[in-house]
Amino acid sequence: MKRKVLSIIVISAVIITIALSTIPLWGSPEFIQFSINALILATLAQSWNIIGGYTGYPSFGNSLFYGLGGYGVAIGMLQFNFPFALGLIFGVALAVLVAFLLGLPVLRLRGQYFAIATLALAQVMSAFVSNLDIAGGNIGLVLPLSLSDTLFFELSLGLLALTTLTVAWIANSRFGFGLIAIRENEQAAMVLGVNTTLYKVLAFALCGIFTAIAGGIHAYYITYLDPSSAFDSTLNIKMIIMTVFGGSGSILGPILGAFVLSGVAEILAIEITSLASLFFGLVIVLAIIFMPRGIVDFIRRFPELGWRYFQENIRIYRL
Amino acid sequence: MQLLWQILVNGILLGGFYALMSLGLVLVWGVLKIVNLSHGSLIMLGAYISYYLFSYFNVDPFAGLPISMLTLFCLGFLIQRYLINFVINAPMFNTLLITFGLDVTITYLAQLLFGADYRTINPDYTGANFILFGATVPLVRLYAFGVSISLTVILWLFLSFTKIGRAIRATSQNLVAARLYGVDPRLIYALTFAIGAAMAGAAGSLNGVISQINPYIGILFTAKSFVIAIIGGLENTLFVIAGGLILGVVEVLTALYIGPTYTNLISFGILVLVLIIRPTGLLGRTA
Amino acid sequence: MSAILEIQALTKNYQGILAVKDLNFTIENNEILGLIGPNGAGKTTLVNLISGTTLPSKGKILFENHSIENLPAYKRSLLGIARTFQIMRPFPGLSVLENVAVGALFGTSPGVSKIVEAEQEAQKCLEVVGLTGEASHRADSLNGPGRKRLELAKALAMRPKLLLLDEVMAGLNHVEIQEIVSLIKKVRDQGITILVIEHVLPAIKNLADRLLVLHHGMELALGKTEEVLQDPKVIEAYLGKKRE
Repeated sequence: MKRKVLSIIVISAVIITIALSTIPLWGSPEFIQFSINALILATLAQSWNIIGGYTGYPSFGNSLFYGLGGYGVAIGMLQFNFPFALGLIFGVALAVLVAFLLGLPVLRLRGQYFAIATLALAQVMSAFVSNLDIAGGNIGLVLPLSLSDTLFFELSLGLLALTTLTVAWIANSRFGFGLIAIRENEQAAMVLGVNTTLYKVLAFALCGIFTAIAGGIHAYYITYLDPSSAFDSTLNIKMIIMTVFGGSGSILGPILGAFVLSGVAEILAIEITSLASLFFGLVIVLAIIFMPRGIVDFIRRFPELGWRYFQENIRIYRL
Repeated sequence: MQLLWQILVNGILLGGFYALMSLGLVLVWGVLKIVNLSHGSLIMLGAYISYYLFSYFNVDPFAGLPISMLTLFCLGFLIQRYLINFVINAPMFNTLLITFGLDVTITYLAQLLFGADYRTINPDYTGANFILFGATVPLVRLYAFGVSISLTVILWLFLSFTKIGRAIRATSQNLVAARLYGVDPRLIYALTFAIGAAMAGAAGSLNGVISQINPYIGILFTAKSFVIAIIGGLENTLFVIAGGLILGVVEVLTALYIGPTYTNLISFGILVLVLIIRPTGLLGRTA
Repeated sequence: MSAILEIQALTKNYQGILAVKDLNFTIENNEILGLIGPNGAGKTTLVNLISGTTLPSKGKILFENHSIENLPAYKRSLLGIARTFQIMRPFPGLSVLENVAVGALFGTSPGVSKIVEAEQEAQKCLEVVGLTGEASHRADSLNGPGRKRLELAKALAMRPKLLLLDEVMAGLNHVEIQEIVSLIKKVRDQGITILVIEHVLPAIKNLADRLLVLHHGMELALGKTEEVLQDPKVIEAYLGKKRE
């Protein structure tokens, strides 16, 4: 990535972030609520981008980190009387531990097997926690009400900014090149000198960290936590769709995808909720066929190719 | 002891059904090399077809099996030929996502059309039981077991001994070579997916009789089909019987000895362990 | 002249099939060793064993007197071993320059850590192999000969001490082969030791100082190129068919 383009992106990102941070001042309560959810989803998408987009290991189970973050905060604050920040750290520590312990064996699996393994792991973790008394079992835990919506908004915005900055750093670092090499051809990366095992686990852990923080913030925000909401498996699909739709392996793609899809879903959900989900389903199917590389790629290449852009995408991938 | 025997019988009956449930997923995975995340929703459709045939036309669910199978066969053919075909040469991840999108679409379309309430199919013989060495065997489950195993064996025979079946197996092993022998891969792929869908339809019809149906049952079917696919491997479609039986028995034993809330934990835990320890599958080989 | 690589009793067993059986030889510093033999003789397996793509069943591999037979591939790259693949493995979505930059970033330690420096190094390697014009093109847009050069450039960018080339000349025409031959000689002149697997005999005659002939995973002959090519065993087993 050219230095000049990178600096333009960074500067505009800073400006936009500052602009966005003013939303709590003028937005309606519903809009602020929607924004918080959109920001958290964007963070999830961006974290997924690290392991799925850049490293090419599509995890279908990041909800496990999300839940760990949430339960870390809840258990920390309720059972050990931690302040919120310490609870977050506790959740992150859990996530990193799991990323290393479970990541090492699971990251040895290829493509779809990795996807299935992570999906299963998320279910296992959810089922495991729902049988733990310290986590309140299936009934869950209730957290104290305290921070204002504004504070949650700024926290979520800050988290998204932090995650995106990390991704931007990755995209321009030796570490990032290593991850991309793993994605493009792992065998070749190995003989070129990339310590693929270490890099994969690090990427998984990084992803886990941000996802866990998002989970912690979300748990404290809604003040209630039970296994199905903490380890919400629909999130897995949402974060993947948003990243792919926006542009997997790009810096801004996941954010674009998350904001656009959240926005449209919100508008449709005013009607009927199942209609919104139906819409999501159709969007995914059509997007995968016509724009598999996402909005970012579309923006980059549609101007020169025009409608042939879609034809090209079909032509390359059809039987 | 008596309880254990009853539980085992339950597990075996469940296992037979599980075999048919996973058959479509295993076939498609083995031949097209794609994981069809919409598999469960196809089963769900089969269930609703039987439900409406029964409620409006008094068609016995077992007699109506061919209808739901045929309908899903056509649907599956169209889905593969005109949707999945467009992304089949893309990175595997794209086919995962498109089948997921399909799953979501079918599920929520079903919710809009059929409503979210639970439904069951209750023919006259629903309550009838058969006693086997002291264990109560519900007749419908026995029939379902019989149909499941029969269909699985029939499919295996079809794949092993008919010309088309052999063409399908050739395509799964070596696409290039199969092409050289005059096989049209698009036709074979569409046919295979259609057969898989038909099997899913059959499983759905049976499920309607032995359990409740609603638009959301698909995802659990898909998930359990994975487990069976990994246990049984993708080489031989007969192994789904072994895989299904293992899963069925493990589930009921878990429910009895550990607790009903642990069933999913154990099933998926097994899946992860098998994937990590023997990625090539427990019994057969996976792709 | 000291040996940069020493192979001792190296054996590789693939589920009952001995791909490589009890090999013993050395590669001298800065020589070009040709590796020939019929298909299935174990040549690529040997390269896989040296580069770490595969681990041996028995035996030792000593690189600069360090035992490396159990090291993972990336550690061997850090020590200075680079290889090309017969079935080429580019990074398809990346540009030609970026492909080579990966080699510069991760090659022999201490390696380059800044992307900018890596791309500069990569640019130099592209010049050496003659791909400067395609630097910004996608790697998967290159044709056959182009991809071969890319493989070579990637390996060169790693600043290797030992370079393993697996059939870089397959599918090239006479002119292209001549170019690759002089390229390889240029690389050797930089002090690098090279092991070349090849089927194109005239090129190997021109290139290799010594020749190792493998047959059924075992050493059939090893020595100066001229002598080996006139060895009746070798002619019978391998070249005999060519004489027709």
